[in-house]
Amino acid sequence: MTSYALPKKETWPDTMASPEPHLELLQRLSAGDESALRELYAAYGQRLYAYALRLTGDPTGADDVVQETLVTVWRTAGKYRGEGRVLAWLLGIVHNLALKTLRRRPLPITDEMETTLPAPGASPETQAQANDQARWVQQGLQTLSSEHRAVLELVFYQGLSLEEAARVCNCPLGTVKSRLSYARQHLRGVLSRQNVEEWR
Amino acid sequence: MNHENFETLLPLYAAGQLTEVERAEVEAHLPTCAVCQVDLELWQAVSGEIGTANRALAAPPALTERALEQVHAPNGLTAAFLRAWQLLHAQAFLVQNEMWPATASVMALGVIVALLSKHVEFVHFITPLIAAATLSMLSGQENDPAYELTAATPTSPWKILLARLSIVSAYNFLLALAAMLILLFRMPPGSFGTLALGLLAPMAFLSALALLLSQWIGANNAIAITYFLWIAQNIPFQFLDRWMVSSTTWVSVVSAYQQFWQQPGLLLTLSVLIISIALWSANRPVFRLNQEPG
Repeated sequence: MTSYALPKKETWPDTMASPEPHLELLQRLSAGDESALRELYAAYGQRLYAYALRLTGDPTGADDVVQETLVTVWRTAGKYRGEGRVLAWLLGIVHNLALKTLRRRPLPITDEMETTLPAPGASPETQAQANDQARWVQQGLQTLSSEHRAVLELVFYQGLSLEEAARVCNCPLGTVKSRLSYARQHLRGVLSRQNVEEWR
Repeated sequence: MNHENFETLLPLYAAGQLTEVERAEVEAHLPTCAVCQVDLELWQAVSGEIGTANRALAAPPALTERALEQVHAPNGLTAAFLRAWQLLHAQAFLVQNEMWPATASVMALGVIVALLSKHVEFVHFITPLIAAATLSMLSGQENDPAYELTAATPTSPWKILLARLSIVSAYNFLLALAAMLILLFRMPPGSFGTLALGLLAPMAFLSALALLLSQWIGANNAIAITYFLWIAQNIPFQFLDRWMVSSTTWVSVVSAYQQFWQQPGLLLTLSVLIISIALWSANRPVFRLNQEPG
């Protein structure tokens, strides 16, 4: 029987272990404990920043979104009632603030512009080293719209379930599923074009 | 479970998010379906690519401190008062330094003259003139040593003008008040209120007019025009009768003009209107006719 090796699942220290390990942090935050905000950022900062950067597409915008997220968390921590994981709640705030930032931008980034954007951290050397499939997947991801990319980020990097991803994106579960399906079609299209080019 | 269900489960399988039962079902289906095998390969590549790209990112370390600074920054009304205070404080040093002692000296001299000559109304005569002169020298290249710098600041010109106008007007008002208090024992009892209001209204009107005219036609012209307007009411125009035929129209014009300066309500309303126009035109360089080209 063929074995289908599962990719090694991301293991996040503490944050995924129990249903809600950081509830106490939010309680301290609502009591005005500044060190709780630092601890929260140490635990979730990297993932919040990564998600903000994927949505905004620029580091300065991502900085602002994460900073605003922390301010919002500081002001609204008392309203968190333990519905869902803290991570999903935080990503929901990032998502809303990033969308607001994108709406304020004078020129929306079109698909055409997106294709010309350089891949984050992908220098010509590293691109040459990467295998062809990874390169085409990378290109396929870059040409996805931010809302489709967001679902992939939430599922594959943030480890959210489809229901949690729907709450973060503030859309129905069916929409998340259809976005995943669209992403698959899109990436398949990119990969098939790659195959055609390779056979020429 | 049909093929469409597996299509939905595959990304979650690749992300390691399925339950034991679901995972077993997917693994049983995979060897029988070439399409799902290709799809799984795709999702695994996506998962790997997204993970690699994201793990390379580091969260900026200073964001928590910046957020806390933002949280503790004064907001709303407090912040507005703080900004206003900072603007007033900064502009107080940019108004011409000589103006403060010069104004106080002229006012002191006026009080001394009034006391010696026993004509309290002399202070009433000079105070609006002093105020008009100071207000006409608030802005513009010839009066502002830091003009270029001021023009380059992000603060709107009208706010800068309002700040300076407030500072200098408050100073003039305090000087006038001090002069009135000194003269208090020389005044007939009960006339303080009448004199104060009779002084305040023309002072405000002449200051406002000087401010506006200085923006449009320069400080010197503004001073000349406002001084003429103020002094004109005290000129005994009857002497003109010698050269021209006296007419009732002329007499009524002179009388109406003198009456105009005696109406505090009208003068204060006009002052507010003129100051508003001055602030509005501060933002529009096209109105500054006195500016030299280049």
